[in-house]
Amino acid sequence: PPCGPVENKKVLYGRQPYPDNYVDRRFLAELRRNVGVQQLRYWSVAREAGLVGQQVSCVAVFVALWSSLDGGALPPAALLWGGLLAALLGYGLHGALGGGTGGRTRWADLQSAAIFLAFTFGFSPVLKTLTESVSTDTVYAMSALMLLAHLLFFPYARPSPPGSLSLNAALFGSVCLASRLPGALHAFAMLTWALLLFALWPCLLQRLRDRAPRAFPWAAALVSLAGVGGLSGLWPGGSVLLLLTLLALTLACPLLLVRLQRHKDNIHGPWDEAEIREDLSRFLD
Amino acid sequence: MVLKIFFPQCCTTADSGLLVGCWIPDQDSAVVLAVVHYPFIPGQVKRYLTEIRSQTDVDLTVLGSWSMPKEGQEGMDSFLKDLSTIFPHSRWLQLSREIGKRGFTCQVVRKGGMFLKEQAKEGEGSVRDENEKVIIVHYDQRKVMLSQLHPVQEGVSHSKMEQSALRAVFHTVAQSHPLFFIDKYDDGPLKLTHWQSEGREASIIAELVKQGSVPVCKLLTWMLSLWSWLGSIRLLNVPPVRFISSKLSTCVQLGYRTEHLQTVSSTRKATEHMEFMRKANIFVSFLLDMALGLLLIAWLYRENRIGKLASTLVPVADHVAKELRELLEWLMGAPAGLKMNRALDQVLGRFFIYHIHLWISYIHLMSPFIEMILWYVGLSACLGLTFALSVLSDMVALLTFHIYCFYVYGARLYCLKIYGLSSLWRLFRGKKWNVLRQRVDSCSYDMDQLFIGTLLFTILLFLLPTTALYYLVFTLLRLVVVLFQGLIHLAVDLLNSFPLFAMGLRVCRPYRLAEGVKFRVLCEEEGTPLHLMMEINPIKVSAVLQYYRTPTYSCYPRDSWMALCKKLFVGELIYPWKHKTTKTD
Repeated sequence: PPCGPVENKKVLYGRQPYPDNYVDRRFLAELRRNVGVQQLRYWSVAREAGLVGQQVSCVAVFVALWSSLDGGALPPAALLWGGLLAALLGYGLHGALGGGTGGRTRWADLQSAAIFLAFTFGFSPVLKTLTESVSTDTVYAMSALMLLAHLLFFPYARPSPPGSLSLNAALFGSVCLASRLPGALHAFAMLTWALLLFALWPCLLQRLRDRAPRAFPWAAALVSLAGVGGLSGLWPGGSVLLLLTLLALTLACPLLLVRLQRHKDNIHGPWDEAEIREDLSRFLD
Repeated sequence: MVLKIFFPQCCTTADSGLLVGCWIPDQDSAVVLAVVHYPFIPGQVKRYLTEIRSQTDVDLTVLGSWSMPKEGQEGMDSFLKDLSTIFPHSRWLQLSREIGKRGFTCQVVRKGGMFLKEQAKEGEGSVRDENEKVIIVHYDQRKVMLSQLHPVQEGVSHSKMEQSALRAVFHTVAQSHPLFFIDKYDDGPLKLTHWQSEGREASIIAELVKQGSVPVCKLLTWMLSLWSWLGSIRLLNVPPVRFISSKLSTCVQLGYRTEHLQTVSSTRKATEHMEFMRKANIFVSFLLDMALGLLLIAWLYRENRIGKLASTLVPVADHVAKELRELLEWLMGAPAGLKMNRALDQVLGRFFIYHIHLWISYIHLMSPFIEMILWYVGLSACLGLTFALSVLSDMVALLTFHIYCFYVYGARLYCLKIYGLSSLWRLFRGKKWNVLRQRVDSCSYDMDQLFIGTLLFTILLFLLPTTALYYLVFTLLRLVVVLFQGLIHLAVDLLNSFPLFAMGLRVCRPYRLAEGVKFRVLCEEEGTPLHLMMEINPIKVSAVLQYYRTPTYSCYPRDSWMALCKKLFVGELIYPWKHKTTKTD
């Protein structure tokens, strides 16, 4: 490169005695590392990880309920009463926590509930014969796949409202499972619980996290305990496995994350893409 | 530049006289049309030419002289040479034959070259343009006059016509038709030699037919106008009647036949070649159609064939129904080991079996009248074979109406499922179809929408195989019927549109439809110009089909195979009669 007294300017529109891709020694002077990185603290990470853990146990609770219903250990009427109780409690809690937020009135809530109940009740006889000719293994495999998809695609960052793919996968899986139950009322009870667990509970939990941050870990722990307890009556080995998984998810993984934080090395510099800092919202109105 | 002289073959043995013809502008070629014999009075020749010129738009002139040596006419040569002073010209051709030679010589004299020519004879220099070579092309005047050069150019003004020498020659010969009317039995002042000079060609039958066709055509036109007035009565144009008549192939065929007859019987003379050929084609295929139809009638109404046919028809329908019932019972079990939804399977199977039951009772109710119906319907064959075939197609359509119904039910159900599944699959992924932008957008649904959508999606997904199987089986049945009807339609269409007259012309009179010419060397002798024989190349058979096919609906492109498969996949209904009915000329 021709070295001259002319100082290199970082412009392309001016004619200079340097090639276009020339950089001088000042190039790395503007290098900055880890800009705007917030230091994670172990307990706050563990608290957030509780959300993942409780979602896994939700699925476990659902499977445990299905299994006991299938085996006849739990009559569907009792399950329905329990569901009604849980729904009323949850609705009351939801109302107590949220003061005037959201556009939904009580009438709209009632309408939604009526639609759920009517459709589920109407379709439950159809559901009973739906997968009659499909082999049981296929149904189990499909349900497992769908519940896994629910866990994978669940929007953990903002759980309210649940992302439609995750909710739909969970509902699809529960419909598949419900169609294996012995009676129409069984299927109805199962679908009601699927709705409670996969659609309504995440909403309540989100509200809880926003309004009562202190109660949130307790609620998560309660669900996790329920999952482990429910599975223990059914399959003790499975419950131990679930307990270990939950411990790993809520305690070990955050520890790992905080440890790995030290090795974080982001570099920033003038080569970054341009970022518009101005507030453009006034142009959009 | 080579001077080409097109010379009629029949004039090579003509007596001496004047060459009558015309120059083709810009092409440096001349067409000789006739030879005017000696003795003649130049004034009469001029008057005659003017008269012919006014009848045709050919620029007829005296091209030069023709000399044929004979005993006792030795002085003729010099006389003919002197003639060039009488007639106005820019170039004067002198063709002369010598005894004992096949070819003849040609001399071209420019205007005012008379004096110079004398010098040339004395050998003092060449005044005749030595570069100007002459080729004499012999042609068969009758064939060239009657033949039509392809591709046909009509409606183009002939003065602006593409300047092809060959086309101009054909055009000139065809136009100078009135020149060939005088034969040697006429007592006119002039004697000419051309292809008809030995006597005019004519046929008494053809003349009689020509005379007789005029009142027949008038009567036919009147009847047709009555018929189309009947067709346009308000009662026949109310929507259901019109809909049914557009679906019955007999009615469609009736419409075509009316249109064709209107074309044929129009009393206006067909002046252009294509119009004439169209009329003739339609007329000949109409005659053939009638003849075949009458043959069919002669066969059908003998030995009680109608009765036999009627008595076999009902058992056949019964048999078909039985087979269908067995098929349905097979489908209601576990067909081919497939896992179907038992409840839906039973419902559909029973529904279809009930339908077959209805159908069979309908057939049995009809069975006493079937023979009578067949007897009257068979009479339609006297209108032509195409009518009989169309009626057959309609009867097949009516007798297989249950299969059509099954197909429609199956297809509608399947179509509903496919559309429902595709839109619910978008809901499943949290997307929706944006109609305004014609694309898939993401969308946030309410929870009850999601719940009901997923429930329906699951149900539809598990019921799809059952519906699809029923759809598949009935579509196959329907395709068999459609194939059969399609074959009949193809036959009808072939009879309607095949250019029979043009084909016959191509086979019996190949020179009438020319595509080009080929030249053969006649003789090449020292001292005489090159003599070529022009022969007409007949048009190819496939080209005849392409040019003269009577346009019907099947000339237009229908669904491609891919489009058909796609339609079958999404469950759209397919019809044999789905074609563009609007013809664009």
